[in-house]
Amino acid sequence: MNKQESNSNKIKPNESHAGITALQEEVHARFPELAKSEIHGNTLYLEANAASYQTICKDLNGQFAFPLVSMFASDDRARTGCFNIHTVFANRQSGILISVALPIDPSTCAFPSLCDLIPAAALYEREIHDLFGLRPMGHPNPKRLVFHGNWPKNQYPLRKEFPADQRPDFTDEKIEFTRIDGEGVYEIPVGPVHAGIIEPGHFRFSLAGEPILNLEAQLYFVHKGIEKLIEGKTIEHGFYLSERISGDETFTNSLTYCQAVEKIAGIQVPARASYTRVLFAELERVTSHLGDLAGICQDVAYGFASYQFKMLRGWSYRIADELCGMRFLRSVNTPGGIRRDFIHGKGKNLTRLLTELKKELTETEAIVMHNSLFIDRIENTGILKNKIAVDLNATGPGGRASGVDFDVRKAFPYEVYAALSFEVPVQSDGDVSSRMKVKLAECFQSISLMQQVLERIPQGIVKEEIGILKPYHSAYGLTEAPRGENIHYIMTGENNTILRYKVRTPSFCSWPALCHAVSGNIVPDFPLINKSFNLSYAGNDL
Amino acid sequence: MFQVIKKIIQYPRVTQDYPAKPFDTSLTSGKPMIHSEKCTACGTCVTRCPSGAIAENAETNTLEINYNACIFCVLCSEVCPHGAVEITGEFELAQMSYEELGTQLKKKIEKRFGRSLQIREVDSGSCNGCDYEINALNNPFNDIERFGIHFVASPRHADMLLVTGTAARNMELALLKTYEATPNPKLVAAVGACACSGGIFQDSYATQNGIDSVLPVDVYIPGCPPRPQAILYGILKAIDRL
Repeated sequence: MNKQESNSNKIKPNESHAGITALQEEVHARFPELAKSEIHGNTLYLEANAASYQTICKDLNGQFAFPLVSMFASDDRARTGCFNIHTVFANRQSGILISVALPIDPSTCAFPSLCDLIPAAALYEREIHDLFGLRPMGHPNPKRLVFHGNWPKNQYPLRKEFPADQRPDFTDEKIEFTRIDGEGVYEIPVGPVHAGIIEPGHFRFSLAGEPILNLEAQLYFVHKGIEKLIEGKTIEHGFYLSERISGDETFTNSLTYCQAVEKIAGIQVPARASYTRVLFAELERVTSHLGDLAGICQDVAYGFASYQFKMLRGWSYRIADELCGMRFLRSVNTPGGIRRDFIHGKGKNLTRLLTELKKELTETEAIVMHNSLFIDRIENTGILKNKIAVDLNATGPGGRASGVDFDVRKAFPYEVYAALSFEVPVQSDGDVSSRMKVKLAECFQSISLMQQVLERIPQGIVKEEIGILKPYHSAYGLTEAPRGENIHYIMTGENNTILRYKVRTPSFCSWPALCHAVSGNIVPDFPLINKSFNLSYAGNDL
Repeated sequence: MFQVIKKIIQYPRVTQDYPAKPFDTSLTSGKPMIHSEKCTACGTCVTRCPSGAIAENAETNTLEINYNACIFCVLCSEVCPHGAVEITGEFELAQMSYEELGTQLKKKIEKRFGRSLQIREVDSGSCNGCDYEINALNNPFNDIERFGIHFVASPRHADMLLVTGTAARNMELALLKTYEATPNPKLVAAVGACACSGGIFQDSYATQNGIDSVLPVDVYIPGCPPRPQAILYGILKAIDRL
């Protein structure tokens, strides 16, 4: 435990850990019945019992105002004889995670639902039910989430006895969509195969006249069982799976994975590697945002702007090729640092490419954001209210456009972000225009961050050996992906393997927020609103 | 308006002339190759390969890489104790599922698909990397429409299905329905390691090991993800227009 505390990054001052003991005492004073409470790094691990679980979670979320950031189960029957539900809250003021464990007796396989107290818990609990067969008692709508009608009842793939490669026969159960009744109300089903070149998902619109009354998104079409596939595999193998969670967030996902592994190993990434990681993470953000901006313009048939942004995106891929020869920044990271010195000798060329990118983006922004026809189209479209964004924990550009002033890079500084200067752009209107403005501003911030990295990067080694990890140690990795807050949980098993890996990408939280944002809009605006969030299906479905 | 015209004059044409002119591979990371003279068949790469793409050829007793399964992670080149694996820039890896075509069939394909090809893209369980690369075929650098190749909104308008991903369980029915909705004659291209073999996601409860367990595949385009030029090469190869 202390190993991880001493692991605090030398480059950044780690005052975030200072408040954790005080918080532990405060929590203890309020809930004396807690079975366990431990501090590992910036995470406070608590253990509740069935009687106190709801009260503790309610108070952490309500009184302390810590948002629910992740919730998942683990099958620990082989070691402790029970399942565990892990409910994770974040203290974003002081950069502390609070992980509340609740042991579940395998004879009952049930746990009290938090939905009434914390609306964001609804999806997590449905996911837990599908994968582990643990029933959330009191859940208002406990229907299937991960599995569609083709999956047989009573088969729970994340239980340890279920073989990863077992493919049960297809069944034909019917899953009902939310129905809106009333005169003139009709439905439009869309997907899973869409008209554009995008990932699959089924959207069920309920409408009266033109405005959308309700949208229900059925996702998980690209569910591949990543969390199961990784179990029992080596740390090295798991890394490659983490890179393939979501193609355009390859680097951030691998970084989050590495961060968790490095926390468990208790090692310090060399400074040069840390700077390089920031460079890659920001490059990925720019690439992703430029694609979104092109998509928004394309969906309103603003061809010139769309092609301009597509060209800029091509330029950022050029930078990626220049750096590592991989457009999706794969095989760059590695637990303990980065593969090799990617920046050495390229500084001058990179600076030139970044300057060009910045100049062209400035000129393009001036043209696009002064086109009144275009602005008319994106203003007041797809408004995500601040209250909904906060309740559902919508983070990233989608949340920041609705006034959620939160960025993992500021609240939980990792790598060398604390030593670099950047701003977090926030808007308050929550419409497509706000999201576009946030993404544009973030592009400039990211370019500036990359320039700072190139100016300041120290010489030195780029990789530290992680060695063999101790079994049954766990840690959370937390990063700011292009789409928002990204949390991975790793628990190690015997022989340097992974026992449980839980991925919660920002898309998981933002999909329900998107469904709220389209209410009251017309169906032809849906692609535009969807593109302004540009959530990952693969990152949600896993 | 003046600013827009200025930009159009500033960038009159950014489209690359691939495949008429070769693509510069000096920076890119592509196909790994095992040099048999250095390889001792020690098996380090076989056990470490995340997608199980390297195996021993029983006849020749040499190690071979199955490019349909390879995820191009370059790990083999890093772990090889003898430095026998070289990462080349080669990316034109698309292979037809059948051997050399007879001239008659070639003519037929050219007649049916040779002029203008309509493509429907289906993501059947990818990580979205391949989909972004297919999207990039429409960007000003690649501009696939210069070949008369279009992406269409419905399979009913399509000549070719460009399928990415592993045929995930939840997508299997939709994939089959899309295939059935595509009028004959039709071509199917498997794009990326997942579609070609299952890649790193093979042997999972929710996937198939490649889309050829569900659909007949005409052309395999390996890569993780394949570059836009590699996909373009595969499409042109399938319609015999290289």
